[in-house]
Amino acid sequence: MGYIAVNEEAEFVKLQIVANGNAYANANVAMAVTTDVMVVPAMQEITLNMTPGTFRWKQLDELSEQVVTTSSTNSLEATIVLDDESFFTGKGATTGIFNVTNNKTEAYFRMYWQGDSTGDRYVEGTGYLTGVAPTVSPDSPVWTSPLTIEISGDLVPGVV
Amino acid sequence: MSIRDTLLANVTTSLSGSSVSVSSELPWNSGQRPLYEKNMKHFYLSEASLDITQNQITLDRNDVFQTETQLTAFVSVDAKNQPTDISTVISAVLNSKNSVSDQYIMECNGTTEIVEDRITYQFDYRFVKIN
Repeated sequence: MGYIAVNEEAEFVKLQIVANGNAYANANVAMAVTTDVMVVPAMQEITLNMTPGTFRWKQLDELSEQVVTTSSTNSLEATIVLDDESFFTGKGATTGIFNVTNNKTEAYFRMYWQGDSTGDRYVEGTGYLTGVAPTVSPDSPVWTSPLTIEISGDLVPGVV
Repeated sequence: MSIRDTLLANVTTSLSGSSVSVSSELPWNSGQRPLYEKNMKHFYLSEASLDITQNQITLDRNDVFQTETQLTAFVSVDAKNQPTDISTVISAVLNSKNSVSDQYIMECNGTTEIVEDRITYQFDYRFVKIN
């Protein structure tokens, strides 16, 4: 067994977003537009939610319920320390988290589990940025914000 | 200008004309007695202690750091016959924390201790800034 540790520089979790307003066949194609690939820096935590729906029923000839799965609800949640470039400026035609969220631009994303070198795994997909709620206070005087990607369609795993 | 220099300059100005003088010397010991006990009605300020800690921890080492600076000041006076303006002096020393800029936490706590016929006022300054 091998733990998926992310404490070394070569193993850092990485989240990339392309939201340039163009429609692509899938995230893999979007990520090839390298000039518009924005890395989301300074993440404090990240959570991938994969939740298939369920349908349950009872039968008179069974002691327990039966279940089948239905369509999944997938999302990716992170907490980030706001960075001027990734939040406001963006990269290339990807206009930054604020504008992408505000304009409801479709976003293609790729999350590397443990580094992005050859052989490293990632998961990618398409969705929309939501849940942005920047906050700051006298006791914590640096802007931070949650960030959610509501995923449309399947998550697609891959290897670099 | 260091935080210690800023505080000393501010206290020197605000205590001018009062019964307490400001010393730029550190509160070192002379003959196993701290100077503020030996030289009563003198304000002494320690050297700063610095501590750099993580304010925000991130997954890619884009951490946000903060610097905490702590200093301690002392004033001893006669416990039986305190200067008539002692409350003004205490207030001026406590408010001197406001003279230090670029800090998001500026605190100064005052405590007292009576030994023999002396009362010693101790002021603990704490400043925190984002690096």
